[in-house]
Amino acid sequence: MAIDLRRNDYTLSDEQGQLIAMLRELFAEQSPMDVVRAAEPLGFDPQLWTVAQHNGLLTIALPEAVGGDGGGLVELALTGFEIGRAAAPIALLDHVVTLRALASLVSASQPIGSVDWESALAGDTILSMAPISSWELGAELVPSGAVARAVLAYKGGELILMTRDTNAPQAQNEGCAPVAWWNPADPEVTVATLAAGAQAAEIWDMAHREWRIATASSLVGLLEASGEIARNYAMERQAFGVTIAKFQAISHDLVNIHMDERTSRNLTLKAAWLTEHEPDFRPELAAMAMAQATRSVLRSTSKAVHVHGGMGITLEADISLYYRKATSWSLVGGGVRRDLEEIGRAIDRRALERSLTDANLALASTNR
Amino acid sequence: MDFSRLELTSEQSAFEQEIRDLLEAHWTPNPAHIALDHDRSPEAVRLAMAKRGWVHPKQKPEAGGAGLGEVEEEIITELFNEYFIPNNASSDLLIPTLERFGSDWLKANVLPGIRTGELTTCLGYSEPDNGSDIAAAKTRAVQDGDEWVINGQKMWTTWGNESDYVFLLARTGPIEQKHRTLTMFLVPMDAPGVEASPVWILGGGRTNVTFYSDVRISDDYRIGGINEGWSVMSEPLATEHGAGVVTEGVVPINGSMGAGFSRVFSKLIDGAIDWAASRTSADGRSRLEDPLVRIALAEAMLDLEVCWNAEGELGKPMAAEALMANADRLADMAAPEGILDFGVDGSIAAGIIASERQHAPGSAVYGGTTEIYRNNIARGLGLPRPY
Repeated sequence: MAIDLRRNDYTLSDEQGQLIAMLRELFAEQSPMDVVRAAEPLGFDPQLWTVAQHNGLLTIALPEAVGGDGGGLVELALTGFEIGRAAAPIALLDHVVTLRALASLVSASQPIGSVDWESALAGDTILSMAPISSWELGAELVPSGAVARAVLAYKGGELILMTRDTNAPQAQNEGCAPVAWWNPADPEVTVATLAAGAQAAEIWDMAHREWRIATASSLVGLLEASGEIARNYAMERQAFGVTIAKFQAISHDLVNIHMDERTSRNLTLKAAWLTEHEPDFRPELAAMAMAQATRSVLRSTSKAVHVHGGMGITLEADISLYYRKATSWSLVGGGVRRDLEEIGRAIDRRALERSLTDANLALASTNR
Repeated sequence: MDFSRLELTSEQSAFEQEIRDLLEAHWTPNPAHIALDHDRSPEAVRLAMAKRGWVHPKQKPEAGGAGLGEVEEEIITELFNEYFIPNNASSDLLIPTLERFGSDWLKANVLPGIRTGELTTCLGYSEPDNGSDIAAAKTRAVQDGDEWVINGQKMWTTWGNESDYVFLLARTGPIEQKHRTLTMFLVPMDAPGVEASPVWILGGGRTNVTFYSDVRISDDYRIGGINEGWSVMSEPLATEHGAGVVTEGVVPINGSMGAGFSRVFSKLIDGAIDWAASRTSADGRSRLEDPLVRIALAEAMLDLEVCWNAEGELGKPMAAEALMANADRLADMAAPEGILDFGVDGSIAAGIIASERQHAPGSAVYGGTTEIYRNNIARGLGLPRPY
C-alpha cells in the first residue's frame, strides 16, 4: 500500500484577499447595525439587495460560461464570511447557490421551468432552495423563502422548481430569518420538474453540499464578529479594579470562542476547495463544515453573550442580535443530526477501505 | 489554497520504500501500542535513521540531516504512524538553541551527535514543587572554579532514562529574583550523581523523576549567559507549543503535539470501525448500520477533522480535549467491551481505546497544560496576561 499524501495549503491568493477587503468595506458601509435592525422582522433589506446587484456580488461565484465572473466555492465562502460578519440582511447565499445549481442545466440548454435565467442572474427574480426537501413530505420551511419567487427542491427522486407570483408569508422566528412555508400542493405554487433519475440526484447532491458550505461560511462570519465584540468588551469592562479579560474564567472562554472561529473557518475553506476541485474525494466535508459551524456558532455566540453579563441579554446589545441570528441561521438546513447522518458516508467508505487491506487484521484478531 | 493529491516523484517513492524497509527490518508492528505521541522511538530504529540523516531530515547533510523537504518529512511521519512506531527521536527543539547559545566545546563535541540523532536529549524544566510555573525552579547550580555543582530534583523528565543529555534549567542566584537568576545547562545523563527514577503514569507509560546530587560538570556545558536561562529556554518552549509554525503547505497546520494526538485519535476511529464491522446486532444487521453507532462514529470523525483544522498553538488543546472526549465516546459506543484490556478475550480494537482512555488525560498536561496554552493563546489575541 503506497502512501497517499495531500497538500495542506490554506493560503489565499492576492485576488481573494482583495475580495475580502472589498466586501468588508462594502458591508461596513451599506449594512451597519442600524440597517440590520431596520430590516427586521423580515431580515431582508431591498436596498441592500440593490447594492449587491449594482456591485456585482451575485455573479462573483458563477462560471463565466453562464454570465458569471468565474469565481468558485471558495469565493462564495469568502463572501459568506463577510455577510455573516455584518449579519447582513440579504438572501444572497441561497440565491447564488441556487443559480449555481441551475447553471448546470442552463449550460446544457435544458429548461429551468418558468424562471427567466437573465432575470435571475441579474437578481430581479430571487431564488432559493429547500435543503430539507428530500427528507420531508408536503410543506417545508424554506430559507429565504419569504423573499424568493422560485425554490429548488428534490422530491421523490425528481429535481423540481417551485414558483410563486407573490411572496410567501414569513414564518416568524427570533432571529428574523426570512423563512417561509412552501408547499408543492399549494394552489399558489407552480411546480416544474427539471430533472429526474441520476441527473437530478447528482445536481441536488452538489447543490445541497454547496448550500451547506455557503451557510457554514455565514455562520463563521457571525462567529468571528461575535468573538471580536466579546473580546473588545472584556478589554474595556472593569470589575474588581481590572479589566475582566484578566480573569482566566473570561479569557479562556474568549480563547475557546477563538478556537471555534479558526477551526470553523479553516474547515469551511478546505471543504469549499475540495468540493469544487475534487467532488468525489471526501464528499462528507461539506456536512462536516456545516456541523462544525453550527455547533460552534451556537455555543460561542451564547458564550459571547455571557461574557457581557447582564448587558449581553439586552435587546439593544449588538451581541444579542448576533446570538439571535445564530439561533435561526444555523438550523434552517435541518440541524446537526442531519449533517452527522451525511458524515455517515465517510464511515462506510472507511470501513470499505479497511476491509480491503490487511492492516486491520491484527486489530480484528482479538475481536470475537 | 491547495488540497490536491501529491504525486510523489520517483525519488520520493523510492524514499518511501527505503523507510518501509528500514522500519520492517528493525521493528515488529504492535497494534496495541497506542502511546505513539508519548513514547520514545526504539533505539534500533533511531540509530538506523541517524545513519542516513533522517532523524532531522530537513537539515543539510553537513548539519547532520539529509537535505530533504517537507514531503519526505511527512512521508517519515506517516509511515511511523502506519507501523505504530513512536516518532519521537528528534531534538529539533534544541538544535537552534545550541547553535546560537552553546559553548564552542559543546558545538564541537556534542552538537554533531545531536544533529544526526545518534545522541538524544530530554527536558529538565519542571520540579516537584513547580510545573507550569517554570520560573520557580529550585534546582541549584553553584560555580566552583571552572565547574558547576548541581543539586536538586526535576519532575516529568520523560525519556530521562534513555537520553544522553538533559536540557536543564537551574537556579544560579537568589530565588526571589525568579526568572532573572536562571541558567541553562546541557547535562550528561551519565554524569556521576544523576539518577532517573521511574514514574508510571495512567495508560502504562513511563516518565521520570530525576535527582541531581553534587553533579559536577564543566562550564563548557553551560548554554547561554549566566542568569540568562529564561530567554535561552523560551524559544524551544514556544516551538514545542507549536507557535509560529510556518509550513510549505504539506505538513498539517495543527502544531507538533496537536498533529501527534490527532494521529492517535484517527487510530481509535479505525479500531472502532473495525469493531462495529465485526459485530452483529440482534436483528442480524451489522453494528455499522446501527444509528446509535453511526452517530457516535460520525461525531468522532467530525471532531478529528476539526483537530486537523486547528492551526499552530490551537492544535494541542483542541486535540488533547478531543482525544479524551472521544476515547470515552468510542468506549461508550462499544460498552461494555470497551473497557477490556489488550489481549483480553473480546477486547475491542486490540484494547487501544481502553488504553487511550487511560493515556489521554496526560495529553492535556504534558508539554504544557491546556490552561497554559490558553494563557498563551489569549496573549496572542492581545488580551492581558490572565490571573
